[in-house]
Amino acid sequence: MIAVFWVCAVLSVAGGFGMVFSRKAVHSALWLALTMINLAVLYVSQQAEFLGIVQVVVYTGAVMMLFLFVLMIVGVDSSDSLVETIRGHRLASVAAVLALLVLVLTMINQATQSLALNIVPTGLEGANADEGGNVQGIAKLLFGRYVFAFEVTSALLITAALGAMVLAHRDRLTRVPGQEELSRERLADPATAAGLPAPGVYARHNAVDTPALLPDGSIAENSLPGALVLRGTTHDVREEVAVTRAAELASDPKQAQEEQS
Amino acid sequence: MGVQLPFPTPQIEYSLLLPVLVILGAAVVSVLIEAVAAESLRRTLQPLLAFGSLAIALAGCVGLWDQRQVVAQGALVVDGPTVILQGTLLILAVLGALLMMESRVDPAGDPFAARASTIPGSADERGFGARRQTEVWPLFLFAVGGMLMFPAANDLLTAFIALEVFSLPLYLLTGMARRRRLLSQEAALKYFVLGAFSSAVFLFGSALIYAATGSLDFAGIADAVSADPTSGLLLSAGVALLLAGMLFKVGAAPFHQWSPDVYQGAPTALTAFMSAATKVAAFGALLRVMFVALGGAAWDWQPAVAVIAGLSMLVGAITAVVQSDIKRVLAYSSVAHAGFILTGVLAASPKGLSGSLVYLVAYGFVTLAAFGLLTVVRSPAGEATDVQQWAGLAKKSPVTASVFSLLLLTMAGLPLTSGFTAKFAAWSAAWGGWQTGVVVIGAVSSTIAAAFYLRIIVSMWFSEGDDAVVVALPGLGTRTVVGVGVASAVVFGVAPQLLLGLVDGVGVFLR
Amino acid sequence: MSPAAYLALAAVLFSLGCTGVLLRRNAIVMFMSVELMLNAANLALVTASRMHGNLDGQVFAFFSMTVAAAEVVVGLAIIVQIFRSRRSASIDDASLLKL
Repeated sequence: MIAVFWVCAVLSVAGGFGMVFSRKAVHSALWLALTMINLAVLYVSQQAEFLGIVQVVVYTGAVMMLFLFVLMIVGVDSSDSLVETIRGHRLASVAAVLALLVLVLTMINQATQSLALNIVPTGLEGANADEGGNVQGIAKLLFGRYVFAFEVTSALLITAALGAMVLAHRDRLTRVPGQEELSRERLADPATAAGLPAPGVYARHNAVDTPALLPDGSIAENSLPGALVLRGTTHDVREEVAVTRAAELASDPKQAQEEQS
Repeated sequence: MGVQLPFPTPQIEYSLLLPVLVILGAAVVSVLIEAVAAESLRRTLQPLLAFGSLAIALAGCVGLWDQRQVVAQGALVVDGPTVILQGTLLILAVLGALLMMESRVDPAGDPFAARASTIPGSADERGFGARRQTEVWPLFLFAVGGMLMFPAANDLLTAFIALEVFSLPLYLLTGMARRRRLLSQEAALKYFVLGAFSSAVFLFGSALIYAATGSLDFAGIADAVSADPTSGLLLSAGVALLLAGMLFKVGAAPFHQWSPDVYQGAPTALTAFMSAATKVAAFGALLRVMFVALGGAAWDWQPAVAVIAGLSMLVGAITAVVQSDIKRVLAYSSVAHAGFILTGVLAASPKGLSGSLVYLVAYGFVTLAAFGLLTVVRSPAGEATDVQQWAGLAKKSPVTASVFSLLLLTMAGLPLTSGFTAKFAAWSAAWGGWQTGVVVIGAVSSTIAAAFYLRIIVSMWFSEGDDAVVVALPGLGTRTVVGVGVASAVVFGVAPQLLLGLVDGVGVFLR
Repeated sequence: MSPAAYLALAAVLFSLGCTGVLLRRNAIVMFMSVELMLNAANLALVTASRMHGNLDGQVFAFFSMTVAAAEVVVGLAIIVQIFRSRRSASIDDASLLKL
């Protein structure tokens, strides 16, 4: 019991320090997950088995994973700048927190000296055995004494879901064309009926940023992804095309005559 | 093995819980309407549902006038102060909803963004144009539901849940302004981070109080405190942290840092509702916790509250002088008002309770009307909130200028206005004994505040104005809100007994 | 193990969380620090529950986990919205509001 406490306590505090002082946000998330798992072990060691499992499943498993997902969206490489924007802010913060910590620890220490705090805990064997187990005991309170708060918590969850949708779900202004519509559009024009050219069809490249060539040797602009064209990061193949064309004409005089006429 | 069957059915007194249940039920129906109805139908149906449910809840609340009972298995209390606070909150909610519906002052539409998920300045955003984000209505109703529960909560768990239920929708709504969206989103982030921080502090304080007393409900805590007055530093630490968490919500210094930014960035209709209703709900809960649960340990928290009250009053008044944005001026003055209300809390007596309640009611209507009036003064870019843009307003619209002057003077505490009644009630409770010092600080702060209010009033009436700033003609909703504010300022000032008698008659907290 | 040790651990973790909120500039890491504070409070609640021999503290901790989950959803939605608008999650870049 004591060994469990010390191991988990040291690891949790290490996780806490790691979280606060990591440069990269993803590392912070992982340190926090370490802390949470250690806390779960501490819960189980304190006769809160249900809570320990829920901590792993809900907190570490759902909440921390959500953090990691959002970090992936925002940018895995995001790291804080270390430049202080308000001078002395860092020092003042650390001083304030140390003061708070000293205060709380003193109070806890004082409390253990006085008779008001049970140094020997009552323990939960009685409470757990009362209803036939930890889960049953919590169930009795959840659906008995605290049933109103339990029902109102649903309002919280609805708000969260609604809010996430409102802020993050992009509504479409125009209707999405259906498959039949898209098919008809494609077949109506002989240029697209056989399907659009895939990018990079030129014999020397198969990259997405290299345009395809049409049968007459010209470059097919619509074979490139729109985003790359907008950014201007596509591969410019005109020079290559010109060189190869010139070589072709040089090696085949009949074609060159056609070209000239 | 297993729970003893038959499991006793928990007893819920539905008639006594009518206001809360109606609002939360309407919020859920509102979400269903969002899912099912077409946008054109939602535009009219959602506000209708909101107003209907608020009316029914208000009727239910008035019906609870004489009830004194602990309900819902000890989670909530229905007593005099609960009825007053819930009634005030419901009326403020109706006024806030009227402001949220206003679509005449802004040619672009209502105060909320057409689609909060679009990127500000994008073609997408322009494409949605004047459409409405009707999800604000269920969020609004959830916020009101949480606010109704918070002052009625009888244990720390229910109080924490209620706190979160009303805070989360407000964080979301703050980021959904139609104009100046980047500012609005930033305000939402700030509000959220600091709000989450204060909730965590509240929770840790509750945990320490539970560790010291062994009980989560207020009666149990009060018993433990009175049984062992030397319960010592663990209880004090818990009380300090709990107090810090709650003072954040009411916006008292030094926990007020969020309020100017959030009030400035949020859509003004929401700021109006937030500034009034959040204070009423949070102070109601603060009063209940301090008086019922921790009344026996009053000497523990009174000095701290005295310092915070004094600090709020001074910081609010002094910082407001240098602000250049009218919304921030009003935000800092509401910090000062929080300090005045805390003076009533300080008294830790029934007189203090009624003084604080009187102040909350009087202040709520006036501040909601003041923020509501801000929406009508506009420039081509949107609302004209710079103080200099308000100069010379009297020439453009004498009505607006005189109403705003009256509201400012009420907030300063001019005699024959509700502001004076409120200050008198709060201060007389604290007069006598060592708390008198705080009252003196309050008087000083009032004087400073009056000075800069007068500066604004003088600039409105006697300075040259900017031609680009016009006063838009608001719809019936905004006019009603401002009218109610002015009426309350005048009526409760000229006939203070109406308000004082009402509050005195409800008595004290039920244990 | 004496409950005082657990409460002390909870206090240390709580302070670490406070430090994180005050020191870090990345909104997501600030929010993770708040989560650490909530976890510390949960640990204190479970310890207090064991101290007094009733399960109220555990139920409160359970509710607090639910609340934290809902808060995370709302908070991250706000952060994602800001990121989309500004391409940055740093709280210094969000500086339109000055004190």
